[in-house]
Amino acid sequence: MRVDFSRVLFALAALVLAALVVLPVGWLIVTSVGGPHGFTLDNYVTLFTDATMIRPFVITLASSAAVAVLCVLVAVPMGWCVARTDMPLRRWVRILVMASLVTPPFLGAIAWELLAAPNTGFLNQLARAIFQLDRSVHPFNVYSVTGLTFVNFLYTFPYAFVFIANALERIPADLEDASAILGAHSAQTAWRVTLPLILPSILAGALIAFLQSMTVFGSAAVLTLPAGFHTMTTRIWSLFQFPPKPELAAAASMPMLLLTLGLLRAQQLVLGRKGYALIAGKGARRTVTRLGAWKWAALAFCGFVLLNAIVLPYGALLDAAFVKIAPALPTFDNLTLSHVHFVFFELDATALALRNTLILALGAASIGTALALVVGYLVARRAVRGWSVLSFLASAPIAIPSIVLGVGLFLAYTRPPLLLFGTLWILLIAFVTIEFPAAYQQLSAVVASIHPELEEAGRLLGATPLRVLRDITVPLMRSGIVAAWCFVFIGAIREISAAILLFTAPTRTLAVVIYDLNESGDTGSIAVLGLLLMAVTFVVLALANRVPVIATAAEEYRA
Amino acid sequence: MRSPRAWRTAERPDGVAALELRKLVKRFGGAPVVDGVDLTIPDGAFVALLGPSGCGKTTLLRLIAGFLAPDAGEILVGERRLSAPNAVVPPEQRGMSMIFQSYALWPHMTVEQNVSYGLRLRRLGRDEIARRVATICTAVQIDSLMQRYPGELSGGQQQRVALARSLVVEPQTLLLDEPLSNLDANLREEMRFEIRRLHDEFRYTTVYVTHDQGEAMATADLIVVLRAGRIEQSGTPEEVYGRPRSEFVARFVGGANVLPGRFAGLDVPFSIRLEDIALLRAAPPEGIAPVEGTVVRRVFLGSARDYVVEAGGELVRVTTPPQVDVQPGERVWLEFPPERCHRLDPVFPVGD
Repeated sequence: MRVDFSRVLFALAALVLAALVVLPVGWLIVTSVGGPHGFTLDNYVTLFTDATMIRPFVITLASSAAVAVLCVLVAVPMGWCVARTDMPLRRWVRILVMASLVTPPFLGAIAWELLAAPNTGFLNQLARAIFQLDRSVHPFNVYSVTGLTFVNFLYTFPYAFVFIANALERIPADLEDASAILGAHSAQTAWRVTLPLILPSILAGALIAFLQSMTVFGSAAVLTLPAGFHTMTTRIWSLFQFPPKPELAAAASMPMLLLTLGLLRAQQLVLGRKGYALIAGKGARRTVTRLGAWKWAALAFCGFVLLNAIVLPYGALLDAAFVKIAPALPTFDNLTLSHVHFVFFELDATALALRNTLILALGAASIGTALALVVGYLVARRAVRGWSVLSFLASAPIAIPSIVLGVGLFLAYTRPPLLLFGTLWILLIAFVTIEFPAAYQQLSAVVASIHPELEEAGRLLGATPLRVLRDITVPLMRSGIVAAWCFVFIGAIREISAAILLFTAPTRTLAVVIYDLNESGDTGSIAVLGLLLMAVTFVVLALANRVPVIATAAEEYRA
Repeated sequence: MRSPRAWRTAERPDGVAALELRKLVKRFGGAPVVDGVDLTIPDGAFVALLGPSGCGKTTLLRLIAGFLAPDAGEILVGERRLSAPNAVVPPEQRGMSMIFQSYALWPHMTVEQNVSYGLRLRRLGRDEIARRVATICTAVQIDSLMQRYPGELSGGQQQRVALARSLVVEPQTLLLDEPLSNLDANLREEMRFEIRRLHDEFRYTTVYVTHDQGEAMATADLIVVLRAGRIEQSGTPEEVYGRPRSEFVARFVGGANVLPGRFAGLDVPFSIRLEDIALLRAAPPEGIAPVEGTVVRRVFLGSARDYVVEAGGELVRVTTPPQVDVQPGERVWLEFPPERCHRLDPVFPVGD
C-alpha cells in the first residue's frame, strides 16, 4: 500500500479520529471553565469544597482500591490453578470466567439485588429460614459500599485473571528449571522467579480492575441509589437530572479523566520496562504442578468464586424470568411465561429497544472494525508518515471513561450546527468511540503478525497493491476481522455508561430499558430482557470463536 | 569445473539487455546504507551479493526489486529506467521474481494456488496455467504436493514451492534473499546445487544475496563483495578468492593471513591463504627463505589440521594435510610461496 491512496486514507482516518476524540474532550474542557459570565473556576471550587461532590469521590476511590486488591487476591491463585496445575475442569473454569467477563455489571448488580436485597433477597430469606431469624434481620445487604465493592469485584476480576493467567502461561519452563537446577525448592522458585516475572501483569491487572470499577456506571446506579449515596459516575449522572448542571458535570469529569490517564501511563511504564519482556517462542514447555489431593481444594476455591459471579446471579435471573413473583423457589404452581409474554407482546419499549440496539451494534461493529482495519494497517505497516499520530488518536479513547465521553458528546452535539442529540447518531458515535480502540489494538496486532514479505511476494508476481490487499492481506486477517467485529458488537449491545446520558425516549436501547425497568422494580421483565441480552452475546461470542478455517494455518505460519 | 565466463556464452534467445545499477544511494535517516553502488549484471548471469550483516546487500536487493526508491542514482535495463529518485516502476511491472528469506508462501493457499497465482494474474487460460504449473512443479520435484498447504510442508519443500512460484512466471530476473538460511546443513548444500541447476536450465538473470562465502562460490559466476554499502571487490569466484584486493575481502572470503610488510622478505602488506603456506619440521636446505616459529595451537579437523604458529612476532594460521603432525611448543619453519602472496590494494586501507 505504499502508494498515494494510503495518504488519502491517512487524512481521512486522522480526521475521523480527531472528530471522535478531540471534539468531545475539547468541549468538556471548555465547558468546565464556563459559567453564565464567561471564564470561571467556580465549578472546580465547588468540586473541591462541596461535600456532595467530595464524598462520592472518596467512596469511589476506596471501593475501587478494595476491588483491585480483591481481584489480585483471587485472580493470582485462580490464574495459577488454571494455567499451571492439573486441577480438574480447568477449561470450564476458564469458560465461566469469560462468561463473567462479558456479563454487564449492571445486569450482575440487578441479579444480586434479587439475591441480597435486605428484605426480599433470596439469600437473606434462606438465612432467616435456616437460622430462625427475625424478619427484620438481614445478613446480606447489597445496597451498601460493601455490596457495591463485592459486585464490582465479581465482574472485574476476569480482567486481572486474563492478564495473570496469560503471563503464567508464557513463562518458559526453562526459566524455572534453571532456578531448580541451581538448588531452589519449588516454593523458592515460585517466590523468586515466577512471581517477579508475573508481577507486571499482576500490577496491570490490578490497575485495570481499579479503572473498571472507578468508571462503571450501571452497577453503581443500581446499588447506590436505593442506599442513598453516590459514586463519581452516578454523581455526574445526577448532575444531568433536573435542574441540569452540565458545567459542574464537565468539571466533575476531569478528576476521573486525569486519574485514568495517569494510571494508564503508570501501567505503560511498568509494562514497558524491557527487562520484563516475557516472551517465549511457540511450543515452549511449561511446567505443570501436580496438586494431589489439594486439587479438590483448588477447584472448590474457583468454584466458590464462580458460584457468586455466574451460578447464583444467572440462577436468580432465570428464576425471576419464570416464576410469578421473584425471588421464590420455582415450583410447578408458580412457574409462568407471563413475563416473557409481557416483554415480547405488551411492553412497547421492547421492539423499539431491540431495533435500536441492533442498529447501533451492527453499525458500531461495522464502522468500528473498518476504521480499526484502516488505521491498524497504516500503523502496523508504518505505511505513512505520521502513523504515530494515528496510533495515538486511535488509542486515546481507552483513557476516556465512558460516562465522561458521554458528557463530552452531550456538550458537543447539543448545539448547532452539530445537533445530534436525540438521534441514534450520537449513540452510534459514542459506541464507535468507546469500542473502537480494542478492535484497533487487535487488528494492528494481526497486521503486524502477517509478514510483509507475504505481500511483497504478491507484488513481484504482478499484483497491484489493491489486488494484494484483496487476495492476500484480507484473507489472512479474516478471523481477526470477524473477532474484532464480534467484540465491538458485544460491547455495543451492553453499553450503558454513555448511553444513559445520551438517550431520549425514541432512542432507548436494551440496556437503558432494563435500567428503567429496574427503577420501577419490574424484576420479571428485567430478567427476561437481561437473559435475552446475554443470549445474543453468547451466540455472537460462539460465532467469533468458531470462525476458523485458515486461522490455524495462518498461526502456524506466523509462529 | 564450470568456466568462469560461462554466462557470457549463455545468450538468451530474446537477447535482453543487462541490469545496470548506476551510483545507487539509499539512506534510512542518517548514514547511507547503500553508498554509490555501480554494477552491471550481464543478462543471464548468476551474481552473488556477498557481505556481512549490515553491509547493505538486502537493501540493494530491495532497491532492485522496486520495494525501495533510491535517494540517488538509477537502475536501468537496457534503455528502460526502472528506478530513480521519485520515479520507481512498481515491483509488479518489473518482470522480476523473488525468493524471500521466509519463503513468504501464502498460508491460506495450497501449493497449487501459490504456484499458479502469478499466472492467474496474467489471465492465462486454464489449460495453459495447468500445463505450466505442472512443468515447473515437475522441474522442482514438488508435483506430489500440489494440494497441501504450506504449513504441512517441510522447510526444503517450502523452499522448492517458493522456487516454483517464482519461476513459473518466467521472470527475466530472479532475486534471492538469503534463501537457504532457514535450512539445515545437508539440505542447504542440496538446494544450492538445485538453484544453480534451475538457473542453467531456464537462463534468467539471478541476483543472490548471502553472507555465506561457500554458497556464493558454489553458485555464482560473479561475486560482488559488499562492505558498508560499497562494493569492495567484484569478480569471478576464482578472482575474489585467489586475488583478494583488501584485507577485508581476504579475511571474509575463505579466510586468510594478512601480514604486514617486511615479513617473509616482502615489503608491503600482503595476504596468503591458510593452505598456501608450507609448514616444515626442519629448515629447508635451499629455495625460498623460510620463517622460523613455534607452534602455539593445533586443531584436528579430520581432513586437515589447523595450526597457529608464532613467527616473526605475528600469529600465522596454517592448514596442513592431517599427516603433518606437530606438537604445540615445537619449532617449525614456514614457507611463503611468492606467487601465493597477494599484495593488498593500498586504496583499501587495512583495518577500519
